[in-house]
Amino acid sequence: MKLLVVEDEALLRHHLFTRLSETGHVVQAVANAEEALYQVEEYHFDLAVVDLGLPGMSGLDLIRQLRNQGKSFPILILTARGNWQDKVEGLAAGADDYVVKPFQFEELEARLNALLRRSSGFTQSTIAAGPLVLDLNRKQATLDEQPLALTAYEYRILEYLMRHHQQVVAKDRLMEQLYPDDEERDPNVIEVLVGRLRRKLEGEHGFKPIDTVRGLGYLFTERCR
Amino acid sequence: MIRSLRVRLMLAAALLALLFMLALLPALQKAFSMALQESIEQRLASDVTTLISAARIEHGQLQMPELLPDERYNLPYTGLMGYIFDRQGNQVWRSRATTDRNINYHPRYDGRGNEFARIRQDDGEEFFVYDVEVKLLGGKNAAYSIVALQPVREYQDTINGLREKLYLGFGAALLALMVLLWAGLTWGLRSLRRLSLELDEVETGARDGLSREHPRELLRLTGSLNRLLHSEREQRQRYRDSLDDLAHSLKTPLAVLQGVGESMGQGSGEREQARVLQSQIERMSQQIDYQLQRASLRKSGLVRHRVQLKPLLDSLCSTLAKVYRDKRVAVDVDVPEHAQVPMEQGALLELLGNLLENAYRLCLGQVRVSLQETPGHLVLCVEDDGPGVPADQRERILQRGERLDRQHPGQGIGLAVVKDIIDSYDAHLSLDDSPLGGAAFRIIFNLD
Repeated sequence: MKLLVVEDEALLRHHLFTRLSETGHVVQAVANAEEALYQVEEYHFDLAVVDLGLPGMSGLDLIRQLRNQGKSFPILILTARGNWQDKVEGLAAGADDYVVKPFQFEELEARLNALLRRSSGFTQSTIAAGPLVLDLNRKQATLDEQPLALTAYEYRILEYLMRHHQQVVAKDRLMEQLYPDDEERDPNVIEVLVGRLRRKLEGEHGFKPIDTVRGLGYLFTERCR
Repeated sequence: MIRSLRVRLMLAAALLALLFMLALLPALQKAFSMALQESIEQRLASDVTTLISAARIEHGQLQMPELLPDERYNLPYTGLMGYIFDRQGNQVWRSRATTDRNINYHPRYDGRGNEFARIRQDDGEEFFVYDVEVKLLGGKNAAYSIVALQPVREYQDTINGLREKLYLGFGAALLALMVLLWAGLTWGLRSLRRLSLELDEVETGARDGLSREHPRELLRLTGSLNRLLHSEREQRQRYRDSLDDLAHSLKTPLAVLQGVGESMGQGSGEREQARVLQSQIERMSQQIDYQLQRASLRKSGLVRHRVQLKPLLDSLCSTLAKVYRDKRVAVDVDVPEHAQVPMEQGALLELLGNLLENAYRLCLGQVRVSLQETPGHLVLCVEDDGPGVPADQRERILQRGERLDRQHPGQGIGLAVVKDIIDSYDAHLSLDDSPLGGAAFRIIFNLD
């Protein structure tokens, strides 16, 4: 998943960037609201983590502006004071959940995953499509109850396609999921990765859930639960 | 002690007016009676002159005509009596009006000519007497005392009538004065009443300060009060802003430290140090939260706040419904539409936020908030259908920083903050079993 982190404290921003990247997300970490608005304008994000106490434009105003622009991805707020005034205002402005500083990373991760599941319409921590089951917490895919050996990139592509099942997903969108920076992107890599993923899913039973929609992108055809 | 300014002023004015009248009344009576006596003396003198002009001496004897020119001497009971005494004090003549009554009077012949006096008879009746000594009457040598009398009764009646009128007049004047004073005080004190109404509005939060439309004498007072209100508000805001800054500047580094601790914990050798570090960070964070919330949420001095409960509950429930969306909690809010709670908005929000979050987190699927008004008390109740709190642990979890469920990291000071806010508002917090099956937190406010 592609996450946006907006936090002015450099060390905390770096910590969040590192830990979230380690858990398999593509993270864009910025220091202020203006940069965050620019990033959101340019790229697609699946979730944003916003600190309320930002310098300049406040986190609250940033959330309001994002919602006014029609951005519907989940937003998790980080608040230092942890008082209810902030929480109520934050959620009324359009945020979806809050975490009070200092937090344990596991708690933040659990909240993020719950928001991501919810935003793609799944409330369980697993997504199932026919014989294929994805365990979102363990980042593990099983086919006919047999673990599927996927690389981290393959898993990310599979999870993204399953979360957006029965929707056409552009190659650019998939690339954003894998590489945070423009310069590293090569469309051929996606084709190679999707090809490998298809072969692994097809296995012995011929399970073919990923179609190519020419000129547009890929489509996960199976219905996910 | 009389507490009403108006009654005090009225009493003082009434007492002053009464003393003034009591001093004035005898002086007026004295002046009137002197004037009256003077006029009686003058009249009697003229009556004596009538007698003198009518008297004649014939053959050395006093001769008086049968009828005198002044009718009052001729008719009985007119009150005007004339007597003439000789030098030896024998009565030689008396007018008809005396109705044959003898008078016990002895002229003095002391050579002073005439005398005005007041005499008392044996039967107690009093008379004004005007006595003129004449030595030469009608050119002949003769010495007589010519006396005109008038009963004091008439004079006394006039004086009594006057006194009565004076009392009545003064009574009426006092009454009119009191009525006017009451009206004047009502007018004068209206500005104080308006000030008191404005203060009520300030206390209830309906207005920020006192208006400038007060009498000049009060402007200094209202100005000072306004400055006090303004500075209290400013100070409170500054205080909160500083606490916000403090929270942000303390807790963000703690979040960084927490991250460092977690990274350390991933290395196999430093797991124990990381655990110690994290537990200390959590402790510091809880202390910061607790002390900051405690400092900013205690009751303020001057303003008596009242908050509408329903809108506040609605916004909290919609916040929590969003956070606990997956749980699909059924919330039953049994609170009258315009019910108010005697607390400041921020404090009530923290109080209910903490209690409701506990309820949402621990319930199976049902939360109820209700408000009941009993005589003198307002009872706000938050219940859930969760596991509840065992009776022997209830006291302990209301203590500072104590929490039962340690599986949920984060806000560990919720109930301690709740308890602290409630204490500062002189309210009472109780914890028992709910009919729903879980815990029931009751906050009892005193309405006095």
